[in-house]
Amino acid sequence: MSRIRLEMKGITKSFGGVQALKGVDFSVNEGEIHALLGENGAGKSTLMNILGGVIPADAGEIWMDGRPVRISSPQDSKRCGISFIHQELNLIPDMTVYENLFLGSEMVSAYGFVDAKRMIQETRRILDMLGVQLDPEAIVGKLDASLKQVIEIAKSLLNESNIIIMDEPTTSLTDREIQHIFHVMRTLRSKGVSIIFISHKLQEVIQFCDRYTVLRDGELSSTGRIADTDEEKIAQAMVGKEVLKQQVYRPRALGEVVLEANGLHGGAFHDIRFTLRKGEILGFTGLSGAGHSELMEALFGYRPKTAGEVWIKGRTAVIRHPKQALASGLGFVPKNRKESAIIKDMSILENFTLASLGKVLRFGFIERKREREKFQAYREQINIKAGNPELPITSLSGGNQQKVILAKWLEADADIIILDNPTQGVDVGAKSEIYQLILELAEKGKSFIVLSSEIPEIQKLCDRVVVMYQGRVTAILDREEATEGRIMMYATGAKSQADTA
Amino acid sequence: MQPVPNHKQTLPKRSINIKRLWEQYSVIIAFSILIVIAAFVHENFFTSGNLINILRQVAIIGIIALGQTIVILSGGFDLSVGASLALSGAAGIAVMNHTGSIFMGVATTILCAMLIGAVNGTLITKGKIAPFIVTLGMMASARSIALYFADGGSSTGKVDGFTQIANGELLGISYPVYLFFAAVLVIYTIMKKTRFGRHVYAIGSNEKAALLSAIQVNRVKMAAYTLCGLLVGISAVIESSRLNSISSSSSGISYELDAIAAVVIGGTRLSGGKGSILGTLFGVLILGVLNNMINLMNVSPYLQGLVKGCIIIIAVLLQKREN
Repeated sequence: MSRIRLEMKGITKSFGGVQALKGVDFSVNEGEIHALLGENGAGKSTLMNILGGVIPADAGEIWMDGRPVRISSPQDSKRCGISFIHQELNLIPDMTVYENLFLGSEMVSAYGFVDAKRMIQETRRILDMLGVQLDPEAIVGKLDASLKQVIEIAKSLLNESNIIIMDEPTTSLTDREIQHIFHVMRTLRSKGVSIIFISHKLQEVIQFCDRYTVLRDGELSSTGRIADTDEEKIAQAMVGKEVLKQQVYRPRALGEVVLEANGLHGGAFHDIRFTLRKGEILGFTGLSGAGHSELMEALFGYRPKTAGEVWIKGRTAVIRHPKQALASGLGFVPKNRKESAIIKDMSILENFTLASLGKVLRFGFIERKREREKFQAYREQINIKAGNPELPITSLSGGNQQKVILAKWLEADADIIILDNPTQGVDVGAKSEIYQLILELAEKGKSFIVLSSEIPEIQKLCDRVVVMYQGRVTAILDREEATEGRIMMYATGAKSQADTA
Repeated sequence: MQPVPNHKQTLPKRSINIKRLWEQYSVIIAFSILIVIAAFVHENFFTSGNLINILRQVAIIGIIALGQTIVILSGGFDLSVGASLALSGAAGIAVMNHTGSIFMGVATTILCAMLIGAVNGTLITKGKIAPFIVTLGMMASARSIALYFADGGSSTGKVDGFTQIANGELLGISYPVYLFFAAVLVIYTIMKKTRFGRHVYAIGSNEKAALLSAIQVNRVKMAAYTLCGLLVGISAVIESSRLNSISSSSSGISYELDAIAAVVIGGTRLSGGKGSILGTLFGVLILGVLNNMINLMNVSPYLQGLVKGCIIIIAVLLQKREN
């Protein structure tokens, strides 16, 4: 049994009213690859951000090599030998490998000039140690995604880190690149470095990791050696039995086909075919980078399609701009609410009427009173918890912001609404409210396309689910067939319906 | 590690309101303080003659600043307003002299300035070039064309009555002051009450979200630059009528910076999405009163730039603290 390197004890953290971590214990041994798992919102990133000194914990202790430490800033964390490699890499694409490696800690010669020669030597030494063939003077922007990861790893070795946190390093990589990264990770392990590996891909975890910890709803759900468990048990620990039982879906009669995609092509997706019926909730899922988000943006006219046609309510629809999409009855609630959906300088009311200002105009002027009346109707209908609608939209909780965005499309008479990860950044209570709302609206004849990276969400809501892998549809499953295992199989490209057909 | 108290929920409601009030009215408060100081500094400040004089002096920059506000609110920028004023003013005088019609001259000036705005807008939206670059290029080009046609000199009007536009008076107040306030009223209404105004704010605040809300972003931006051009055109008419001439080398020089200064002092965020026409009105007035005070106090006019510079930086500093 190897020594314990890191111990986090009873870590607690809440944001506003939401408890993100409820007294979590977490420990990592010397020289191991430790998988940290959990659904989105389970508290993984909060825990790691506390370890990285990005946010402070409300309570709890951190021990390193048997001694208690205080981590209240990223600098503290670095001093303790912890490196955090984020999903978005912190590299400057126009600089060379060695310049990136030494950014902020450049070696200086006796005359006060930058000592490129020594830095190149040192870079070569570290890359050799990692077993990577790479020119220290290559420009970073031109390198493979996996090599960029390697540079980040090399950077953390330069800081003599003995704990490296990797946040979903493999999501945007090809299989070959993933092998490459794991090769490097194993080399590091053999040198006694501990790696905390955050991932959604259970297969990888089983294959490459030594131990695992699963968080669920801010609590420790399960931890142990990988050798003693399997994929199914881990998935169970992630999802939780109660949640699986919770019934949201209600069967209902579906109407005629309202939308049909016929061989759509675009940059990130190819030959997409599917239909959507009136009142249906159609799920779309896949790993990130599978192209489903891009497909929806193209369907809504935000990005170009190169071929194929879309039929909406029996007519071909030419959609090159979101305005034309709305005219065909489409609405779109994008992912990343802050960046893509809300206008943060505007009030709740102004965000609500943004897509339907034509309805509140009188002689060309906006009537505030009519805006307020319209909002009032929705406030009750879809239960938006807002005090004064004139307050900034940012004063609302994530779930209520999401409802305002949804109301915006309902008010704009959209009856086919695309929701891209609708419960992203929404707490558990508001989540089920949003599910209820979607189902109620579907019962009233609205049609939905729901993109989600959370399989339980798809299972709770959808009548059918379209699974994508590398820009192609690998399966369209009926509700009864859509088990977690089956969806994952199609989403990871292990199987395609076309193979069996 | 220590437990962190949760400030978010204990924040009292009243402090939010005070913050909002300050945000909305800080320019007006600053302006009022300035007026009081001015009144103490010189006994002639509060004479109607002096006050009307201030308004007359700020009218040209003021109208341009309104256009600049629209463009900045949309997340853009227009550096070409000064050069556009010189070129369209000269074009208008040329046409007026040729046709003998004041109307034709005025129409030419306004259309020329709108055309320049539309070209800016097209390059920015269709060409996807940064507004700063496009309008910087336009500033150099427009000025150069004006210099070329006038051979570096001035164009002078040869039609009687043209000077009446800028120098005529009604009830002791010159026409440009009326024009300025009319423009304030119209642009204020457009920005506050129409769909176009609402869309400009949305685009400036979050262009992606605006586009994903089915707003025709490119069309709105085109309209913003063209509307800015229209206002520059009106200013160009006043400028050329004031002295009955336009100098290709000196008319409109650094007007873009004065206009941007007024917008910034008025509290509009330089990256767009937040700000108001009323703020710009007071920004313009603050600059006017400051210049006037410097004159009344017999301070060297060369120091005007220093005062203006300090005020801009202080204004932005105060806005920073609000956030």
